[in-house]
Amino acid sequence: MEVFETRLPGVGVRYEFETDAGDRVGVVVRRDGQREVAVYDAEDPDRCRASLTVGPTEAAVLVELLGGSKLTERLADLRHEVEGLAIEWVTMRDGLGLTGRSIGDGRIRTDTGASVVAVIRGTVSLPGPGPDFVFEPGDVVLVMGAAESVDRAVERLAG
Amino acid sequence: MLASGGTSDVFIELGLVLLILAVVGRAARRIGVPSIPLYLIAGLAMGEGGLIPLEASDDFIRIGAEVGVVLLLLLLGLEFSGEELSDGLRANWTSGLVDLLAGLLPGAIAGLLLGWGWSGALVLGGVTYVSSSGIIAKLLGELDRIANRETSVVLSILVMEDLAMALFLPVLGVVLAGTGIIDGGLAVALAFAVVGAALFVSIRFGRHMSRLVSSRSKEVLLLTLLGLTLLVAGLAELVQVSSAVGAFLIGVALSGRVADDGRELLEPLRDVFGGLFFVFFGLQIDPGSLPPVIIPALLIGVVTAAAKVGVGWWSAQRAGIGLRGRWRAGLSLVPRGEFSIVIGGLGVAAGSHADLGPTVAAYVLIMAIGGSLLMRYADALPLPLRR
Repeated sequence: MEVFETRLPGVGVRYEFETDAGDRVGVVVRRDGQREVAVYDAEDPDRCRASLTVGPTEAAVLVELLGGSKLTERLADLRHEVEGLAIEWVTMRDGLGLTGRSIGDGRIRTDTGASVVAVIRGTVSLPGPGPDFVFEPGDVVLVMGAAESVDRAVERLAG
Repeated sequence: MLASGGTSDVFIELGLVLLILAVVGRAARRIGVPSIPLYLIAGLAMGEGGLIPLEASDDFIRIGAEVGVVLLLLLLGLEFSGEELSDGLRANWTSGLVDLLAGLLPGAIAGLLLGWGWSGALVLGGVTYVSSSGIIAKLLGELDRIANRETSVVLSILVMEDLAMALFLPVLGVVLAGTGIIDGGLAVALAFAVVGAALFVSIRFGRHMSRLVSSRSKEVLLLTLLGLTLLVAGLAELVQVSSAVGAFLIGVALSGRVADDGRELLEPLRDVFGGLFFVFFGLQIDPGSLPPVIIPALLIGVVTAAAKVGVGWWSAQRAGIGLRGRWRAGLSLVPRGEFSIVIGGLGVAAGSHADLGPTVAAYVLIMAIGGSLLMRYADALPLPLRR
């Protein structure tokens, strides 16, 4: 599936794709973390027939409902498939960044828009850590989102 | 009306001004028009020849208005990073150039026909050129058009206009100062060099600058941002680059988290001082001078609106947008507002032709209200949908 990416200067990025059923779907990722999901009109292909604005938390719920828990399994493929989606591994160091604090504490998704998708601790992988998850030194954290969001999340995580 | 002198008078007048703006803003929301034209009308109604003469707070409003311009431009700069601007420049320079010519020439020619000389013509050209990114961005959100495919075309053109403003304002400053060709040329070259250097620095070192300015404390961040901006604005004014451009470049140089937090912190300040700025512009104009300029302003409005629709239509067509979308893109570029008043204000301050202020006021009133109505009802208008 092809996802088209268009920059919206001052607003964020718009992603667009077409479903097998022939509907054109757009997702606007705003810089403040708000998302807008739009379905385009068949007769006026540039106008959205319906649009839905979701905050970062609602977007996460929506992803979950749409089958996002399979996301980690498909990460390797996604990396090559989806344009504009950035993935970054961060190693937590003692006394720096968010080490010793929880995901919720760091407000990563709220503030940056990126998500912590999984954490590798030693040989164990912990997919989908909740907001109460506390980072320990040596943890390897997988962050995913729009390139800019991921940059900011990495900056915050690593300090 | 009021006893002269004393803090009490200043407070009473300022309080009245802000309350009037609040009432007017409420009305604007209710009837669904942008607040800027109504603030202007409020300014016209106050001051000399108006309903509420202001005396004691004159100085404060004048300085407040200048701070308002600086904040307007700072917030505009914070919207964009240097990379966004240079990317935009690379991808859209043809649209930007067409937009510049189509927006500037009709106004400039009108200025010459009205006999305002070259500097007056340049001011009027600037006024007719810059669309109001404030009004347009707000309406795009309100009308649920952010996700529309033609919106990226509209936003790209607005970015180009904002970048052009950074170069236009210093040139205008030099022309209005009326220095000789050689001195003027040097000043323009200096201005361009400063703007170029600032863009380069912001792209190269923006991240470091942002880190230097950033703070976890909102109080510290606010003070740093305001202090830095006013300082740079003042220095820019000193070398004739115009304080507004200095503020804009500071905004561009800052990006990421600092920019996001800064926008949030500074928006309320901008609304207060920006409001004072629109009032101040209105204050300088005697309402009695408006009726004779309404017809020329209306004519200029019709021509420049058509030019903008043409630019939007053409750019959208190049981006592969359908007919309906092309009309929406074109009509979305019609509203003029804050930056037209900024440019007009520079002309008035430099003592251009007496008709300039009233004409700009009438023009902005027509284009802000008319343009936002055109934008709102773009899909309902009976437009030719076949070529």
